[in-house]
Amino acid sequence: MLQPDDLVDPSRRNLFSWVCSVDHKRIGIMYMLLAVFFLLVGGVEALLIRAQLAVPKNDLVSPQMFNQLFTLHGTTMVFLVGMPVFTGFSNFIVPLMIGAKDVAFPRLNAMSFWMLPFGAVLLYFSFFTGSAPDAGWFSYAPLSTKPFSSLPGVDYWIIGLAVMGIGSISGAINIVATVMCCRAPGMSMQRVPLFVWIMFMQAILIVITIPPLNSAISMLLIDRVLGAAFFEPARGGSALLWQHFFWMFGHPEVYVFALPAFAIVSEVIPVFSRKPIYGYAFVAGSSTIIVLLSYTVWAHHMFAVGLGMGPNIFFAAATLLIALPTGVKIFNWTATLWGGSIRFTTAMLFAIAFLIQFVVGGLTGIMFATVPVDWQLTDTYFVVAHFHYVLVGGIVFSLFAATYYWFPKISGRMLSERLGKLQFWLWLIGFNATFGIQHLLGLMGMPRRVYTYDDNPGWALCNGISSAGAVFMAAGTLVLVWNILKSIKSGAVAGDNPWEGFTLEWGTTSPPPLENFEELPEIKSRRPVWDADHPDLADWKTEKTPEDRGHRPAAAKVAAWSFVISEAIFFILLLVSYVVFNSGDEIEGPTAETALDVSRTGIFTFILLSSSLTFWIAERCLRKDKIGGFKLWLGLTILLGCVFIGGQVWEYSGLFSNGITVNRNLFASTFFTVTGFHGLHVTGGIIVLGIMFMLGRLGYLTSKRTHVFAAVGVYWHFVDVVWIAVFSIIYLDVFK
Amino acid sequence: MMLIPELWNWASLVWLAIGIILLVYFVTFKNVKPMQRFALGLGLAFMAIAFVSPIGYLAKGYVFSAHMIQHLLMLLIVPLCFILALPKQRVSSWFSDTPKPRLAKTLVMAGWLGGVGAMWFWHVPTFCSVSTQNASLGLLRDSSFLLAGLVFWWPIFGPLESTRLSPPSGIIYLFSACLGCTLLGIYITFTNSTVCPIFAGSADSLGVMSKLQAAGFTPMVDQNLGGLLMWVPPCSLYVGAIISLLCRWYKVLDPESVPSPVVGDHEPAHLV
Repeated sequence: MLQPDDLVDPSRRNLFSWVCSVDHKRIGIMYMLLAVFFLLVGGVEALLIRAQLAVPKNDLVSPQMFNQLFTLHGTTMVFLVGMPVFTGFSNFIVPLMIGAKDVAFPRLNAMSFWMLPFGAVLLYFSFFTGSAPDAGWFSYAPLSTKPFSSLPGVDYWIIGLAVMGIGSISGAINIVATVMCCRAPGMSMQRVPLFVWIMFMQAILIVITIPPLNSAISMLLIDRVLGAAFFEPARGGSALLWQHFFWMFGHPEVYVFALPAFAIVSEVIPVFSRKPIYGYAFVAGSSTIIVLLSYTVWAHHMFAVGLGMGPNIFFAAATLLIALPTGVKIFNWTATLWGGSIRFTTAMLFAIAFLIQFVVGGLTGIMFATVPVDWQLTDTYFVVAHFHYVLVGGIVFSLFAATYYWFPKISGRMLSERLGKLQFWLWLIGFNATFGIQHLLGLMGMPRRVYTYDDNPGWALCNGISSAGAVFMAAGTLVLVWNILKSIKSGAVAGDNPWEGFTLEWGTTSPPPLENFEELPEIKSRRPVWDADHPDLADWKTEKTPEDRGHRPAAAKVAAWSFVISEAIFFILLLVSYVVFNSGDEIEGPTAETALDVSRTGIFTFILLSSSLTFWIAERCLRKDKIGGFKLWLGLTILLGCVFIGGQVWEYSGLFSNGITVNRNLFASTFFTVTGFHGLHVTGGIIVLGIMFMLGRLGYLTSKRTHVFAAVGVYWHFVDVVWIAVFSIIYLDVFK
Repeated sequence: MMLIPELWNWASLVWLAIGIILLVYFVTFKNVKPMQRFALGLGLAFMAIAFVSPIGYLAKGYVFSAHMIQHLLMLLIVPLCFILALPKQRVSSWFSDTPKPRLAKTLVMAGWLGGVGAMWFWHVPTFCSVSTQNASLGLLRDSSFLLAGLVFWWPIFGPLESTRLSPPSGIIYLFSACLGCTLLGIYITFTNSTVCPIFAGSADSLGVMSKLQAAGFTPMVDQNLGGLLMWVPPCSLYVGAIISLLCRWYKVLDPESVPSPVVGDHEPAHLV
């Protein structure tokens, strides 16, 4: 059994063993450490912003530097703190909670993690080029296009985000597959702890929400590097399209952060109230509803751009609607506290502060859902106050709750409660001073993102208070870092279950052994550790939950489907952009009608579609262990794929020789973007099929491993389905 | 506007359809529960609203958003009411108890493609205009909506347990259907081209259109509204259905897993 001192075991201590690790616990810890590091970086940026704004007409930093600071502060906090820290907790805790040995794909997990520092380096390397990105964390076009941001800062921003996006999606797919496929016997989907269920929902949300960002940044990169004009109104593009695409990602992203906060609080509050959660199904169900609704409200970020009365009303209504499933949870948590035997540990204090501050942030959110209020307050400090109440007062506070709650499990040592409470009060005072007062500043009309301000009545005082509050938060953060360092060295030994927790992670040692459990308690309810510790009061005796039927889908197939869904959304948005730019009548230059040879591409379409048939036959051969037939039909599939790509090269070279290149007009830009990305996907598919072919030849692929091949099939058929859509929309022009 | 008597089409053929449905229903099913009778009544009432009220008049080539409301009623609301009106035991008795995975799969495919496809198909500009102008094509369209709607809701609320989707699959089914109509809705809302040309710039004999246009309700605003109607209300309805699926999922115990009553009787003893 692993003891805390094993952390200093030489074989597990050296740095290289961490770099090579595929253990979900170590990867989880690395995610968290990276997040803490960038929390400090993003925090320093925030302090510089607040220092600049502390007094009127300050010139501590230049306007340019100020723009870079708030751009990097936002980007860092979203992509390098928020996403990784929750992925880290999810990585560490989810497999433990469901009684699994590891995540479904440990190597993919390591890759997902290492994409993150790679992306971070790209993002911050821009400083050394002398032009850090400065167009805001949402890089609105046309500011972010070449004519207005000619230096490479935005390019680094795009590539950094793309790399991190790959890591996020693959990490999320891993969590989805882990929860669906790796649950211990007895752990039915209706019995998983709320943390697991909500993180499962969050992972699904990541899978469907990052693709719109990827579509948008791919198009922006093509604008910037290849001279297209998707987002340049001066050349016929649409700046609004960027906003639509960005917020289709950006709004669900808020829930990518909020859901884990809900997940954490749903574990912490019951344990420290010594009661099961009030209304498990409500909390779980409303999280599912949030995932669905979060996709329908993005345009409330765009009330001020002039969408028209109809869209404004509908998006306002949808926004009010999404407050319901969130509001329900507040009642669940409060009702859990009600009558509980509450222990005010640091984790619990942070959770309670979360409840109150999140309600404040939520209520100002509802104010913004009403269009006239939004028109009045948009782009003022009221917005800054609103989303910091959600993201910091809500989410960061829940994160601290999680830190104090699970640190003993992660490290085997307790964090100091005395230092914890000091940190809590520093943050509570600092946070409310910094952001509470900004509501007033916003109402007084102070615009955000402007590097300084005039000495208007009251502004200096309010900004002074706001900046002073930031110092408290900084001090609180240092206390946390000190607490962690001190506790790792000399904290009290935690034992297996220091908080008398209910869920499976408390049923193993702290820290858990390499394969997590020596032996699993019997799982017959939602609180297996409680049941094991209190056999007389076991939950399953009083409350029945649906039994585990033992069905676990093949992880490879789950992963393939999740990936395909994610890619489908990516392509749908690219196709939307094609339709947007090609459905008008006034296109100058080449169009689909004049430039494309439909019948020739029709033949190549037929060839690509037949490759799906040959693949299907190959799969049948493999299932029957007819390796010869398998190789033949798979070989034919690869050949057909190559012929299709050959056809595309032929088409492209014809277009190039007629002077039709990606920067010619919006038809050409959208055409090359859509078909080019499809071609890349086919090429990727051919490479994977080639690997399958080699595995078949070497005898590694047999009927027992059909599910792996079937997973590749999901992707290959998907590429064909996408082409049907591309062919119908671009070549057959069904939208005209 | 609702008060203009000419806008109400009291002589609509829909009454005939309603009469036939009522007759068939009460001949086939005896001892129907009040809730089911209520669902049937609601469905028929919505059917009447779709064709008899001003919605029916305005949908005939004048107001695109009225035309969309009519579609939504016929594709989503009316069939849902009809499905809920079917007595479970009576319908189940027509089929054997054996699980029918193939039939269930076919119904799911047909339901999804029918439900989402019907909307897409009838909004291809040519079909949209022609079916609005031609009465018999219009009838075909409306009946295809009703049929598609029935097949669409069957795997979710259908009376036959063996052809129902499990709640998680049902959620995926509904969510993807929501994405399907969202895409079309977004297109109709934000596109600059006219989706259904017959509705652009039409004038009617009663002068309602000129009044509407004078009030700023231009064909483009009308189309925006139509797109939003296709997008937001169906998705809200699907979310509602998803909530009911979630309730079913968390509440229903697998019949095999329910402990026998004997075990249940022992429980208090354990607790004591």
